[in-house]
Amino acid sequence: MILKTKQLSKSFGGLKAINKVDFELPKNEIRGIIGPNGSGKSTFFNLVSGIYDSDPGSYIEFDGHDITYTPPHEIAGYGLSRTFQLLRLYQDMTVIDNVMSGYHTRVPYKFFDAVIGRKKIWDQERAIKEEMMELLSFVGLADYAELNASELSGGQRRLLVLARAIAMKPKLLMLDEPAAGLSPVNVDNLMKIIMQLKEKYGLTLIIIEHILKVVMDTCNSVTVFDHGQKIAEGTPAQVKDDNAVIEAYLGKKMDDEEMRKALAV
Amino acid sequence: MEKFKSIIRDYPFIAFIIAFVILAFVPSVVFTDVYQSHLATLIFVNIVVAAGLNIVKGYCGQVTVGHVGLFAVGSYTAGTLFLYLGLGFWVTLPIAIIVTAFFGVAMGIPSFRLEGPYLALATLGGGEAIRLFIENGNFFRSTFGISDIPTPSLMGYNFDSPDRYYFISMTIMIIAVYFSFSILRSGVGRAFMSIREDPICAAAAGINVKKYKILAFILSAMFAGAAGAVYAHMPPGYIHPNNYTVIEMVTFLAMVVLGGLGHIWGGIIGAIVITIVYDLTRPLYKYQLLIFGLTIVLTILFMPKGLGGFIDRYFLEKRFKKKTGTEKTT
Repeated sequence: MILKTKQLSKSFGGLKAINKVDFELPKNEIRGIIGPNGSGKSTFFNLVSGIYDSDPGSYIEFDGHDITYTPPHEIAGYGLSRTFQLLRLYQDMTVIDNVMSGYHTRVPYKFFDAVIGRKKIWDQERAIKEEMMELLSFVGLADYAELNASELSGGQRRLLVLARAIAMKPKLLMLDEPAAGLSPVNVDNLMKIIMQLKEKYGLTLIIIEHILKVVMDTCNSVTVFDHGQKIAEGTPAQVKDDNAVIEAYLGKKMDDEEMRKALAV
Repeated sequence: MEKFKSIIRDYPFIAFIIAFVILAFVPSVVFTDVYQSHLATLIFVNIVVAAGLNIVKGYCGQVTVGHVGLFAVGSYTAGTLFLYLGLGFWVTLPIAIIVTAFFGVAMGIPSFRLEGPYLALATLGGGEAIRLFIENGNFFRSTFGISDIPTPSLMGYNFDSPDRYYFISMTIMIIAVYFSFSILRSGVGRAFMSIREDPICAAAAGINVKKYKILAFILSAMFAGAAGAVYAHMPPGYIHPNNYTVIEMVTFLAMVVLGGLGHIWGGIIGAIVITIVYDLTRPLYKYQLLIFGLTIVLTILFMPKGLGGFIDRYFLEKRFKKKTGTEKTT
């Protein structure tokens, strides 16, 4: 198990955004998380990556480390990377700087060496830059490396955020709606890149996505959230036919008798 | 030429040594009177402060308006060490840097909780408090100021006139700029920029936000401390609380903004331009604040990345055109 939560809860005032969720994720799996808006998917991400503190009684374990009350930068150090729904791109930095800042946890030299400006530093910086340029050309942004991130188009921004999250060579990558707002062609392209990256870096993935086609096609297993609770889990096919899931998305499935009553009114 | 470029890339300090040699000949070749040396020293002091301010404001994005207080701490550490212990420049400089670093920590702690204008208000209070503390303390000679702070001497040679002191200030400036250059070019500079752009995302990418914020404040405080000590020992060696008012802070800010926030040479370009303009507009002293205020506003409106960003943009567009064959004019 690379990620495990037990009785994970978070409430904002009286609202239970996440309510006693037990979640387990084996290595090398692609897990989809779906659920209606406000069902706690993003809150779940924020809890796991340490941006919110979970309520007492919760327990989160990542790759053998107890990360329940660990600050986010240490969790990232253990090899957990994530993207954000609202991208949180570094707008005023160049594309290459954006990606290189994702490399932070792997930077090999000490601060003092950087102050002195030893040759070693510049060699290593150049090696980092080369590696990151490779990553950029992999996602198809190499030509834009020196532009400001704010000058990219919407689709390119999504690719850049993905590249930035990969830069730290994570063990677990959590993608929060990677395909939101993309055209169908771009969605296919993006998913292809994500699958290639998974192969290349041996990633474990969690993907929040509203485009069900993406989830059904790419994920090994799917977890469904509703009102802060986990209501179903299984393979995409199992989840698709689960009554609780259909109820959460479309409303209750009625038998003939109920249907007749409802229509008669 | 290519070979020379690659040597500079591997050993950037060679470029600084070349700059040192060139600057060393400037007084004898270019300057016509002593006053110009004095002005050059002022420029160098301002460059050191602006380079430090660029770290914390331009790169790390923490709006501090109390930097002039740190500058004052540097000056007055040097001044009081001379006054009570009779210490000279070579001892007071390192002590001033260390003491100012501690004040930098104090100035930086509010940045954990405060952002933008609120942090500006807190640091403004901090800077003014330092000045008022000095002005009202007999220990610091209050409004009399500390006078006759000696110029440094090295192996029997006394740097006692502006054209001699030029070499001291220039050396300190070159060293400071070199440090700021190597810090900002490395991963540390990138971490600062990420915090400026988005602290939450920076934390999720593994950057210890609090640590780097404090680091930025400490580094820039050390720059301000060094500049303060150099300023205090500058002939005629007189410091007074009125040299450290909010007005000075506005000129420091104008330097960084005009040069380009977050541009590696930003503070330096700005410091040169603003110090010279400040000197030329001395007869119009009533309007100086107006001029610098307008400079800040107009720069932010029409050239948000300052002179440095403007120049960069020009070369970038040229390169982009060469590489892709298309215009990029956003």
